[in-house]
Amino acid sequence: MNFIALVPIAFPMALAAGMHFIKFKSETDRRVYLLGGVLLNFIFAMFVISTPQPEMHILKINDFMEIYFNVDGMSKLFLTMTSVLWIFTTAYSFDYMNHEGKEEKFFTYFLVTAGVITGISLAGNIFTFYIFYEFLTLSTFPLVIHTGSRQALVSGKKYLIYSFSGATLVLLGMILLFSVSGNLDFVPGGVLNGMLIGKRITAAYVILFLGFSVKAAMVPFHSWLPAAMVAPTPVSSLLHAVAVVKSGIFALVRITFYLFGAQAVNAMHVRGYLSILVVLTILMGSFVALHQENLKKRLAYSTISQLGYIMLGILLLNEDGLTGALLHLINHAVVKITLFFCVGIIMYRTGYKTIGEIRGIGKKMPITMGCFSIAAISLIGIPPTNGFVSKWFLAMGGLQENRAIFVVILLVSAILTAAYLMPIVITAFFPGEMGRELENKEPPLMMLVPVVMLTGISVALGLFPNFILHFIQDISKILI
Amino acid sequence: MPMYNSYPLIIILVLFISAFAIPIFKSIKMARIIGISAAAISFVLSILTLMGVKADGAYYFRVGHFDAPWGIEFHIGIIEGLMGVLFMTVSLAVLWFSVYSIGHDLSKKKVPLFYTLVNLLVGSLLGIVFSDDLFNCFVFIEISSIASCGIVVVKDKKENIKAALKYLILSSLGSGLVLMGIALVYSLTGHLNMPHAHDVFVSIYPEHSRNMLIAVGLFTVGLGVKSAMFPLHTWLPDAHTYAPASSSALLSALVLKAYVILYIKIIYRLFGMSIVGDLPVLSIVLLLGSVGMIAGSVLAILQKNLKRMVAYSSVAQMGYVFFGIGLGTTMGLAAAIFQIFNHAFTKSALFLSAGSIIEKTGKKNISDLKGIGKEMPFTLAIFTIGGMSLVGIPLLSGFNSKWNFAVAVIEGHRVELLAVVLISSLLNALYYFPVIINGYFGEESLEGKVYRNTERPLKELLPIIVLVLGVIYFGVSGGGLLSLIEAGIPAIK
Repeated sequence: MNFIALVPIAFPMALAAGMHFIKFKSETDRRVYLLGGVLLNFIFAMFVISTPQPEMHILKINDFMEIYFNVDGMSKLFLTMTSVLWIFTTAYSFDYMNHEGKEEKFFTYFLVTAGVITGISLAGNIFTFYIFYEFLTLSTFPLVIHTGSRQALVSGKKYLIYSFSGATLVLLGMILLFSVSGNLDFVPGGVLNGMLIGKRITAAYVILFLGFSVKAAMVPFHSWLPAAMVAPTPVSSLLHAVAVVKSGIFALVRITFYLFGAQAVNAMHVRGYLSILVVLTILMGSFVALHQENLKKRLAYSTISQLGYIMLGILLLNEDGLTGALLHLINHAVVKITLFFCVGIIMYRTGYKTIGEIRGIGKKMPITMGCFSIAAISLIGIPPTNGFVSKWFLAMGGLQENRAIFVVILLVSAILTAAYLMPIVITAFFPGEMGRELENKEPPLMMLVPVVMLTGISVALGLFPNFILHFIQDISKILI
Repeated sequence: MPMYNSYPLIIILVLFISAFAIPIFKSIKMARIIGISAAAISFVLSILTLMGVKADGAYYFRVGHFDAPWGIEFHIGIIEGLMGVLFMTVSLAVLWFSVYSIGHDLSKKKVPLFYTLVNLLVGSLLGIVFSDDLFNCFVFIEISSIASCGIVVVKDKKENIKAALKYLILSSLGSGLVLMGIALVYSLTGHLNMPHAHDVFVSIYPEHSRNMLIAVGLFTVGLGVKSAMFPLHTWLPDAHTYAPASSSALLSALVLKAYVILYIKIIYRLFGMSIVGDLPVLSIVLLLGSVGMIAGSVLAILQKNLKRMVAYSSVAQMGYVFFGIGLGTTMGLAAAIFQIFNHAFTKSALFLSAGSIIEKTGKKNISDLKGIGKEMPFTLAIFTIGGMSLVGIPLLSGFNSKWNFAVAVIEGHRVELLAVVLISSLLNALYYFPVIINGYFGEESLEGKVYRNTERPLKELLPIIVLVLGVIYFGVSGGGLLSLIEAGIPAIK
């Protein structure tokens, strides 16, 4: 058997363990070790993606409990996204965590999470997925409470309670579905094979959807996400952009299109109720973001709203909608991580946390705030940025369903996005009074370079979306 | 007759004889050698017995000269064989652990007594499991009651004496009810041997259904007290909290379980499902089990003392066992027996690691144990695995156990009961995780303190590690055990 595809799961964990055995002579040595390790892991991941991989049945406890990995289009998409963004986050974290302290602990759990998230992307059935999903909670928890303050512990507790309650619902849904289908592998088009959609299947889908939407921060299960903002910025970006909320979204794609199948979900007549929650998520996230003084909290609510877009795209159940959702999954990840990194740089250099404090800061750190502006424009969805492309497809999907209301919601929310992001840009660049001394406060290169490169990626995704678009369209063609 | 047929009797004899040999020597070293080697011999014999019944099927073993209706018989099937192995594995691990720890809790004079009591206890528990004769079971119940109170009170502190008295009184009440039940069975059928009495019961069932209801009720309450069925559990927290760690592990892992096995035998072998199915008893057991699963956990959340919290968790875990029995299906019964395995390994590992933490730090309260993970990382890691197993993290035995209950519930068309299983496992998370998280990540109690490493040496942790490996093994390959249990169930019917 060829288990090469499991290397990206095991390798980061081995790196994490290795950190405790190797005595680093200096800070630089450790940085080389970590960055080299993450880069090597990226190469492994790319190798796994670019070569054909067999199905890997690792361990079978019984019909339900089987550890099984399979590399398909969705896995490739998700794995590429996480392993690329992981490199940038690692580089960015070096200096940032230097100022937060307890770096060894941070990087241990950070690397373990990298392995766990790969497990999530490669899982071939929902049981394997569920295992890694639980481990994700456990491995990110120490990161959330990293500062160790009382507030951090309270938020951490909230995070755990929400996550485990969600996971319990997931388990319930899995058991219900298994009692009907007897098979929980991820198969394009679902495992139900045209089975009659009874109450139990419908209940299983709704329960699974609600369970996974806890991590995807759907209203009313979202409040752990803003609370978790007490964590250091690299962790926030990880929670928001790369690992945690996106794994919730990824799970929703998996259950909707790979476990139940679009047809079965369509036949259930529960989409209407679920999309009410999703629309609520989009609008509430934007409205609440409007009056958040704290920059990170503002971004957190923005994430909630943007995740609503993706969930809406999933629930549309048509090709354009799904394409838009998957595209937005990637675009939002790249853009949101950039925004968080910029805010993190501000906190790192100046200690400012609220919008009132950053007056005129664009003059002192023009590159950082420039990147922030580009990312903000992209999130609003002004062409030719990448945000525009994904929203275009989402709108097309909405129209195909004859639901013009969705397009209206998208537009309203885009205006709101502008309303909560542009003030930051404006305050930073156009201060009313020019009282403060002008000195360059740009951060060290190790922090700045990832931000600039990420901005470059989001611009590139906007100008040349075709490569990734075709890949995503191939995936959605199979599924619908 | 194959060789292994007499092994169950030999196991009990070896344990009893060694128990009475220990006081002769009056030295701690000899007590350890005799106690542990007797347990080791019994362990090997129990494995051989299990292998035998696996190959040849269940058998009756005549003890003494007379045949069944008059003489005493053992009935050994796969379930009994499995229980023998389980009991001997756990007690061997606990005895091994006690070598390093029991001297800390007891005065030197009492250490040999502890080994006497443990061997007596394990022998009598196995007697309850093996014997097919009701009165013989009762005799073993009495021996085990005294011995289990003994291992609580062997640490002669004030609270131990109080706890042991409470335990003794309630436990005697339970034995009394069981004895009345046996008397009722005997007066109805004229037999004490379970299959023989069962035959008579089937023939007289419709006209004596009320008497039978009373008899089943007496057994349910009597054995319910002894195995801590929910509202009858009040003795358990005190006894398990104040006993030495090794005793607590034995009490929760084995003592509770033997009575449950007897209860299963009474339901299935003595009365038979055709009779009990008509009586409302199993629905009540199911209800009490469900309530216990939730209430035990809620009570555990409220506890401040670490061992007391673990003790209340036993109430919840025993609730699962009764839940499975109460379902009244084969799968429910198999799930209950699997849970017995799961809980025996997990809870003994939890009690031993919690006891180690308390022993080394001298602190009993959860709030004082913040940052303990820095001082005793491996011990807390063991505690973590045990806790995660009970919470139901996949690949640990607790998850498999919960899965079995879920399957049983769905097969029995009682889907609504899934909620009870899942809520209970979520509640487990609410009291195990804070201990673990504060242990590893809380640092408040370390502030201003000189860092000191109080970790037990790895050698002393080895017995607990063996138990934890059991937890992981049943998590990764629980299917084998479950199919073995399912294969054994027809024999006890």
